[in-house]
Amino acid sequence: MEPIYITGAGVVSAIGIGKAETLASLQAERSGIREIRYLKSTHTDLPVGEVQLSNDEMAERLGLGDSQRYTRTALIGKLALQEALQEAQLAGEALDEVHFISGTTVGGMDRREQIHAQEPGCGREIAEIATHNCAACTEMIAEGLGDFASMATLSTACSSATNAIITGANMLRCGLADIVVVGGAECLSLFHLNGFNALMILDHQPCRPFDRDRAGLNLGEGAAYLVMETAASAQQRGLKPKFVLSGYANTCDAFHQTASSPEGEGAYLAMTAALKTAGLKPEDIQYINAHGTGTPNNDESESKAILRVFGEHYPPVSSTKSFTGHTTSASGSIEAVFCLLALEHQFLPKNINWKTPMEEGIQPVTEEVAHPRIQHILSNAFGFGGNDSSLIFSKVNE
Amino acid sequence: MMGKVYIQAAEQISIQNPLSEAWMEEPIVYHEPFVKAVNPAFREYIAPNEARRMGNIMKRALVTSLKVLKETGIEHPDAIITGTSIGSLDYTERFLDDLVENGEESLSPTYFMQTTHNTVSSTISIYTGTHSYNTTYSEGGISFELALKDAWMQFCLGQISNALVGGHEEMLASYYELLRTTGYVGVEGMVPCSESSMSMMLNTQASPENLCELAGVSVFRTKSVQNIRRQLEMLAEKANVKVEAIQTVMTGVNGNPENDRLYQAVLDEFFPQAEHLQYKQLFGENFSVSALGLYAAAHLMKKQGTPLMLFVNFTMNGDCALVLLKGI
Repeated sequence: MEPIYITGAGVVSAIGIGKAETLASLQAERSGIREIRYLKSTHTDLPVGEVQLSNDEMAERLGLGDSQRYTRTALIGKLALQEALQEAQLAGEALDEVHFISGTTVGGMDRREQIHAQEPGCGREIAEIATHNCAACTEMIAEGLGDFASMATLSTACSSATNAIITGANMLRCGLADIVVVGGAECLSLFHLNGFNALMILDHQPCRPFDRDRAGLNLGEGAAYLVMETAASAQQRGLKPKFVLSGYANTCDAFHQTASSPEGEGAYLAMTAALKTAGLKPEDIQYINAHGTGTPNNDESESKAILRVFGEHYPPVSSTKSFTGHTTSASGSIEAVFCLLALEHQFLPKNINWKTPMEEGIQPVTEEVAHPRIQHILSNAFGFGGNDSSLIFSKVNE
Repeated sequence: MMGKVYIQAAEQISIQNPLSEAWMEEPIVYHEPFVKAVNPAFREYIAPNEARRMGNIMKRALVTSLKVLKETGIEHPDAIITGTSIGSLDYTERFLDDLVENGEESLSPTYFMQTTHNTVSSTISIYTGTHSYNTTYSEGGISFELALKDAWMQFCLGQISNALVGGHEEMLASYYELLRTTGYVGVEGMVPCSESSMSMMLNTQASPENLCELAGVSVFRTKSVQNIRRQLEMLAEKANVKVEAIQTVMTGVNGNPENDRLYQAVLDEFFPQAEHLQYKQLFGENFSVSALGLYAAAHLMKKQGTPLMLFVNFTMNGDCALVLLKGI
């Protein structure tokens, strides 16, 4: 596969606004999972990974007059998009030929659930909030930042952002674009907090991915975007890219709407196919950023799949959801940025809160260990319905 | 150099007779502003115990998909790609109503489990045991064309030799009222707001049974006729076709002046002599009805021996799709 260069990245999550804060939190092992504060929920016993800014504070940072117009997803998304575009030195008319591909699922549900009772017989303003869909969410994120050549919204639940990265990569490889901005955004909503709670897969303590006693996930929120471009485009713009997307794959577990297969078939196929497109062998990977939600089912299934692909001598693995919570549709791109930080600063993000090994499962990285130079990282994202995707990020040799 | 891609088979459930091309001879005409789809006998395709757990959109998507798989003899397509703007609307509204009316305690997960937009695509995979590429686009009125473009890219990269591509949308009376208030549907003189489900098989294998050739797909954003000209010329050039040779154009004209304006400008500017076909009089308006348009275009080309057709979809917020079709 011809290299796909990454020339910009922006990230917002519970552990920081921007890459600098995020890196500091990851290296200091500072989790962003806290008591619920910004979402007005009665479930105060459920810890969450909220972005530590109110909508007003985000609107102020973005220089937007009235925060009322915007969904929280859009505000979070704008902060991440702005950082990615700045790093890639893209602004104004340069964006006319750039394509924007974003993943989301909940869309504008955070505002809709507040006004739902007023909908019958409502006027245009309420009706527009009520019908704010995934596409409107992507449009609102882009608004004021760029007049993109095209927009697309992927909605494959918790692998949405990962699949947005894959769609962007395919556009570059087919010659349909020179530059794409890809990723995803999702805020917490009562809708999915209560949905996950009803499914009984939320931990009442900070989540413990890959621990024998893990008891579910914590929900989080955030956004991240990558600017990806062809070699010719990066060269023409005089950039010296540090990272490439070297492989990727999308498969389906084809097992159940909300559960993973016991043998992790979809995850196995996704990781295997991603290695194949990258032309890499399992032993070439120095770190795996796992999907690792912390639910008994996911971690067991993913652990089996990792052992099937990598064998007993699997590379260091961690789930950074122990820092951010599960940021659902945005998780794939947020964790992609974590992978880029790990490549750049040559460190292994830890799997915090871990104590006890699973039976016959993988054991994640929990402390500083000697590791070889990190050249290739594999990152997993799995969604409801078995929409399983894997990405491989590599460091460009100087 | 990319090989040819064909539309091998296409099936629909809509406000016309389901799983049939009866609309060609005996179209059903509606005068109501909102019309639900005509469901087929689901039990002929899906076991009742399975169907009971599924919302309308899933049952319809599964039935159109299963019929296409049966017709083409393909058990496990190389890709399953879906476009849907509002997805499992019914179950989403039920969970939301429950949440807002009864608060955050004692909610059932049954409806929530099927609210994500990818439920449709993944249900087809789960039902058929297909592990291949599976994705979902949710981009308003251009969702289906993005699914089509995704398949096109994978053919271009040589990653697949067939793909099951669909566009599916369900609607509720309460949501219709909201959409009417925004001015999207229910405008005086406009076709009804509807529901629709369409699945088609794309295949690289040539056969006289194929409906037509899919010769190119272009998706972009603009409201300017000049930008559309540039995109049209690029699309035609790649497909080795002259724009002047296009004598048949199918549009999404629906009787709402705000929707129809750009179509009319493009027809006047580039295709003053071409035959102008419309499909929304038959299938109504919803976010994924353009999938029904492409289905109708493919079947009409087959029946009438049309050599070349341009399919056009413009949404009111500036998304544009051009699809070029060639006769077999």
